[in-house]
Amino acid sequence: MSHEPIRVVLAKVGLDGHDRGIKVVARALRDAGCHVIYAGLWQTVESVVRTVADEDADWLGLSILSGAHMTLVPQVMEALRQAGLEHVGVMVGGIIPEPDIPKLVNLGVSRVFGPGTPMHEIVEFVKSRRSAAHA
Amino acid sequence: MLESQLWQGMRQRDRRSLARLITRASRGLGIETIRRLGPPEKPARVFAITGSGGVGKSTLIGKLIPQFRERGRTVAVLACDPESPLTGGALLGDRFRMGAPLDDGVYIRSLAACSGRQAIADHLDAVIRLCEEFGFDRIIVETVGAGQGDTAVRAWADLVVLLLQPETGDELQWEKAGVLEIADLMVIHKADLPGADRVAQQVRSALEVAGGPVVPVLLVSSRTGQGIPELATALETLPSRSRRGDDRSAFLVDAQQMLIHRLQHPAATELLAKWRSGRIDIQEALRRLLEETSVSAQ
Repeated sequence: MSHEPIRVVLAKVGLDGHDRGIKVVARALRDAGCHVIYAGLWQTVESVVRTVADEDADWLGLSILSGAHMTLVPQVMEALRQAGLEHVGVMVGGIIPEPDIPKLVNLGVSRVFGPGTPMHEIVEFVKSRRSAAHA
Repeated sequence: MLESQLWQGMRQRDRRSLARLITRASRGLGIETIRRLGPPEKPARVFAITGSGGVGKSTLIGKLIPQFRERGRTVAVLACDPESPLTGGALLGDRFRMGAPLDDGVYIRSLAACSGRQAIADHLDAVIRLCEEFGFDRIIVETVGAGQGDTAVRAWADLVVLLLQPETGDELQWEKAGVLEIADLMVIHKADLPGADRVAQQVRSALEVAGGPVVPVLLVSSRTGQGIPELATALETLPSRSRRGDDRSAFLVDAQQMLIHRLQHPAATELLAKWRSGRIDIQEALRRLLEETSVSAQ
């Protein structure tokens, strides 16, 4: 049990109602000792960034199954920068075509998790790479 | 980031600094600095919302926020959810149910409460104090869905609101010690459901028999909006339980700080020297310390 639990905000942005995957991830991270703040469906870019700031998150996990990742993720990354939250690590999960993954990583996304990712892979990634501000 | 930078950020009303200081305080770090702040310049009114899981605490808080905003108050919400005693993990989902608005006058923070111990997060008093220091007028504490035997929050709240809902049990439920007696205000939530009036009646008569102070019982529905403005008005107008006065341990903490402060007085140094050299005994030294270093003597 960690004395300083990792705080993870999980959110879905835009018009995308598929929340089964993000709930499974939420549960896996919770069972791994993280404090998971579930921000839920249909969040705007601004509300996600506000949640990350107010909750003092170490990580932001975005789940996108709508195909709008190349529109939404750049907006989220830019809004995080503007809010002075560049120390927060960002993970993206969902249906992301292979050619888009390097583009997202170039934008500053730490890791992209596609369908079929074993839960322990996500858990280990989050635990092994705490964001710089909390290191 | 250094603690001093965070305090600088607080003075500039930087939300990230508030958020980080709250994280630290909830882990027991920097508590001394917060205690040394002394009483707030502008004390906030603190409300605790308690009641069993599923009774609608988060949803109701989401409805109360705009009510306070309309009245020109800024609002901080501290939402406590349980932490697993086995893994230390927690799933904090209250924020979602509150429909967190994008408003600089509103701060919502999820906190984990160690399960099996209490219904509120550790060091909640320090976290409340930080929100006051930042300048929030109203602070709403949502407890873990406990309801029974949940009294820890009383020490830190101006008003404790207990939520009940229709079909929560027979009349004997209300007779259990600790259920009704912790509340300053009773809300029969989900009042649009059948049976709400009956619960309200049962609770009113149980309160009457108990013969304690008059506790208002309000019928409220977050779904229809019934009773929401009335509840906000009651929260604004009901006299507060003097949260810094009636709690013995809080009083002792303050008294201790006052004494430490007085020990820095020049007269205290002299008294200590006299006591050490045996010219006066400790009782005499204490009596004179209280006399000679009182506010008027300073």
